[in-house]
Amino acid sequence: MQTADEKRNFASLLKSGANVINFGMAGFYDDLKKQEIPVVQMDWTPKTVNSNLLAKLKMLKKS
Amino acid sequence: MQKLEIIRGVYYDSVTLMLAAKELNKFKGVEYSSLSMGTEANYRIMANGGFDLTGINATPADLIIGVRGEEEDLLANAVAKAREYLISPPWEKTSCAAGYQPKSLDGAFSIMPDANLAIISVAGQYAVSVASECIDKGLNVMIFSDNVPLDKEIELKKHAAEKNLLVMGPDCGTAIIRGAALGMANVCPVGPVGIVAAAWTGLQEVHTQLARRGVGTMHGIGTGGRDVKADVGGLSALAAMDALAVDEEITVLLVIGKPPDPEVERRILAMAEKVGKPVVTCFIGSSTSGASASLFSCAELEESAAVTAALVKGMNPADAGKTLKEEISRWAGETVKSIGKRRGYLRGLYSGSALCYEAQLLTSQALGSVWSNSPLDKKMRLADSLVSHGHTIVDYGDDEFTQGRLHPMIDPTFRCERIVAEARDESVGVILFDVVLGYGCHRDPAGVVAEAVLEARRFYGKRIAFVASVCGTDDDPQNLSEQTKKLEFAGICVASSNARAARLAAALIEQ
Repeated sequence: MQTADEKRNFASLLKSGANVINFGMAGFYDDLKKQEIPVVQMDWTPKTVNSNLLAKLKMLKKS
Repeated sequence: MQKLEIIRGVYYDSVTLMLAAKELNKFKGVEYSSLSMGTEANYRIMANGGFDLTGINATPADLIIGVRGEEEDLLANAVAKAREYLISPPWEKTSCAAGYQPKSLDGAFSIMPDANLAIISVAGQYAVSVASECIDKGLNVMIFSDNVPLDKEIELKKHAAEKNLLVMGPDCGTAIIRGAALGMANVCPVGPVGIVAAAWTGLQEVHTQLARRGVGTMHGIGTGGRDVKADVGGLSALAAMDALAVDEEITVLLVIGKPPDPEVERRILAMAEKVGKPVVTCFIGSSTSGASASLFSCAELEESAAVTAALVKGMNPADAGKTLKEEISRWAGETVKSIGKRRGYLRGLYSGSALCYEAQLLTSQALGSVWSNSPLDKKMRLADSLVSHGHTIVDYGDDEFTQGRLHPMIDPTFRCERIVAEARDESVGVILFDVVLGYGCHRDPAGVVAEAVLEARRFYGKRIAFVASVCGTDDDPQNLSEQTKKLEFAGICVASSNARAARLAAALIEQ
């Protein structure tokens, strides 16, 4: 039986196809979805960034 | 007059910010705008764009909105508009906003336990730590980001190798896994070819040229251009070749890129001799030595696709290469007769770096030395990339043009301004360019370029011959046939490969 690491190594990627975790450009996520490639989009920000401030921006717009 | 505003503690990727700035530039009263995270590089780019950043204390975790114009009220409105654009973008919305987006890799694994590849397009300064964490967690990585330090690239690749994982990149724009297009890649049939590519648009060119010959590709592994230089030593290229060598679905291996470091080339060729299946190499412009019965060396991208296709079909590869050369020569001769030679210089304006390299090589064989911002020979480097000199071919995909600006394959506007400017120059006879299709690329690049050519023709008549190649297929989102029609309608001579376009452009110059 394969270990989790063996399932993910490069040879296994070539054998089973890509299951993608996407960091960054959302356009890549959309293009993979269109091809029916399994993909998860990360809510990524640099460690110093407080992403909750996006919500504050939205509040500002409403007010 | 300028107006600057800092929004602290928010993060947007550079593509989102540049699209927002592009929209803002259309806004009443805005002469120029810039939306950037407060990194040192972005400070420099904004200062070069004419902003005075004295006293501004934004950090890389803060967003700077800058607008320039004449009226204060209009600039204040523009900043408000910028905030609005970021919350509700007027350009095409992505579908991922609707779904759950995990903040951690553990969160991602909880919804996709069999994830095996991370695609990373965050700013270069953050890409290393993201990639390192992904490798730690057992993921292969494709790094689209550039500006990754060389020593970090080597570290990541060695770290990955210890875990039997592969790093594609940095600066890897294209990959194909089981036919799926990752990044900027084309929709082509799936088949028995495996490609290892140290050149992103080079991979797109051979992938689509194989498709045009009815031959499919299973995998296209991008390594990033630096991989085959001496420092990195071909770590990813050799690992990819090794994996494709034992992959029973692959019957022919194609290895492409700009010429590698000689020692790396020796290692690649040594491995090629051992893989037990035919290997075609194309180190653009270079004729490798030590060919054996199963190793085929080509100097041009289309030639390498033709030879690979012949091998897949059980035909004679030498005949395929020879026939192609004769066909190109005949086609170029007939086309020159039909549209007539032009007096003056050649100007090439490229979005793909590998295609630009190949065009310089082929045109310089006919015209002598060609100037460039990314020249074959350092002596031919342009003093100013925006000012042409003699025969010139410019790579708009080079870092100097993409810092603070969208890549020309995503937004062709900046390159199109140069098409009109070059047409104004009476010493120019032929303008050559590439149009690259596929996922990740602009939705209608031919439409934008054709408009620029029609404008140039309106002002400067038919003095200049325009020549283009289109890299793509009819199954691409943009559709090759539709894109070709748009170019031809604008009076552009469209070639079916970059090599053909470059040879035709050179042949059109009266000497």
